[in-house]
Amino acid sequence: MKNKRKSIFISITQFVLLAAILVPAVTLLLWIFTERWTWPDLAPQVFSKRAIFEIAGRKKELLQILWSSILISTVVAVLSAVIGIMTARAILLYRFPGKQVVYFFTILPFMVPATVFAMGIQITFIKMGLNNRITGVIIAHLICSLPYAVRLIMDGTAAVGSRLEEQARVLGASPFKAFYKTSLPMLMPVILSAVSMSYIVSFSQYFLTLMIGGGNVKTFTILMVPYLQSGNRNIACIYSTLFLGVTLLVFGVFEWAAGRFMKHGGGEFYTSE
Amino acid sequence: MKDKLMPYVLLAPQILLTLLFMIGLVTGITQSLGVIPAFGLKKPTLLYYKEVLSRPDMMRSVLYSLRIALFSSVLATAGGVFFCGVCVMGKKTQGAVMRIIQLPIIVPHVVTALFIINIFSRNGILARAAYALGMIQEQQQFPMLIYDPHGIGIIMAYLWKEIPFIIYFVIALMANINGSLGEAATNLGAKTWTVFWRVTLPLCRNTIISGFLIIFVFALGAYELPLLLGATVPKALPVLAYQEYIHPDLRNRPYAMALNGIIIAISLISSLLYFLMMRKSVKCLTEEQ
Repeated sequence: MKNKRKSIFISITQFVLLAAILVPAVTLLLWIFTERWTWPDLAPQVFSKRAIFEIAGRKKELLQILWSSILISTVVAVLSAVIGIMTARAILLYRFPGKQVVYFFTILPFMVPATVFAMGIQITFIKMGLNNRITGVIIAHLICSLPYAVRLIMDGTAAVGSRLEEQARVLGASPFKAFYKTSLPMLMPVILSAVSMSYIVSFSQYFLTLMIGGGNVKTFTILMVPYLQSGNRNIACIYSTLFLGVTLLVFGVFEWAAGRFMKHGGGEFYTSE
Repeated sequence: MKDKLMPYVLLAPQILLTLLFMIGLVTGITQSLGVIPAFGLKKPTLLYYKEVLSRPDMMRSVLYSLRIALFSSVLATAGGVFFCGVCVMGKKTQGAVMRIIQLPIIVPHVVTALFIINIFSRNGILARAAYALGMIQEQQQFPMLIYDPHGIGIIMAYLWKEIPFIIYFVIALMANINGSLGEAATNLGAKTWTVFWRVTLPLCRNTIISGFLIIFVFALGAYELPLLLGATVPKALPVLAYQEYIHPDLRNRPYAMALNGIIIAISLISSLLYFLMMRKSVKCLTEEQ
């Protein structure tokens, strides 16, 4: 009896949260087709495909922004996973002086908002010629996404340990091969999380992209904000849906690649169990 | 010899990026002290901080931002941990439901703002529902939930984004602890609720607090949501800072940096608190032994 009440309580809690998450998504879809929706009706009066046609007419520009958004975020995600693995291994598997300090500085960008960093670094980026360029935006995004990757991969590395890798070394594998064949496949789920998280951090970044990209580098957020400010909800909703769909697609590709690697790439002996 | 060099080789890209980050941070701090040689400002001074803190409009912004950050992060942490607890105790921590619940993490803040406008604005679904139910007769009677001076819309948007983030941040660890140590306590006769409260929650405390601090600092320094959902007066700290930053009179830049300095100070104080608390919890453990 008591158990039953408990499971009902759990279901209700989950349902409330699910509804709170999914209802906004429905409004997004609704607004794509809404032509007229005057107060105080509960449903839109006139539906049309006007907004969709309007966007279809700007296909070339849209595809370009889509491409540069995905390119920037994917590069940031992959780089931050690679650097994250390197940093996590250095901190966890080696002895060296100043380890605590290094760890502190890796996590520091968590504690300093991107806006503050962006306004501080702009002059330096201009001097280095990185401003208004995709490279500059990638580097700036990387700095913000790296702490997430390092944290996740450090947890993973601590859990996986280095015993299997040492085993492989003893059996004669080169350091890189030992890592590639033993630790990397086991770390893959964590790496996938790190890649996804970094992708998101980069993809959602508005202020930093605005400051460093200087309007030259156009990403999804840069495209969206003016429509939101001017209250053009149709267009904003279409862009949002499109970009969320693309993000899910990209994540699907990441997951597929990671799964493929775990099956065929590295140590098939360790994942088969 | 080779092994001694290895960690530094591995750390090289990290150190380079950290250096760049520190350059940004230090530039911000020195500019807030009024040192910008390029503009002919050379002497360090605390004047800008004093002025910022004595101007009522700027002080209001400071309080406004602090309130939004505090409310949203406390509520999000409480909500997220509560939900984790419910799921962990019911042993439902995986599956399709959990995947959907983590969906908001991948939604950019800009899109979240759009959701909030669709639902909570005076033209939104909630206002229409209130009219349909006869609770209000006119559009103007619906309370101002976005663009309001209390930042309700902003807080709501943060909650939508950050509750799932806390769940994502905490649930794996919590399920793990509740499954191992919690199981042991249950076998010794403790009740489910006692186990959660006395064993699982204390052991997750550090993770929960670090999750809280991450979203607190984020909310304090984020620009998009206050820009899109905030009132014209008061402005959130980062919005005001940017306004001063792009001011045509370049001598206004130290004000921007002083406002940023306040954000940095608050963030650093909160991270210091975090480290102190961590040390204290370690001490407690050793004393008991």
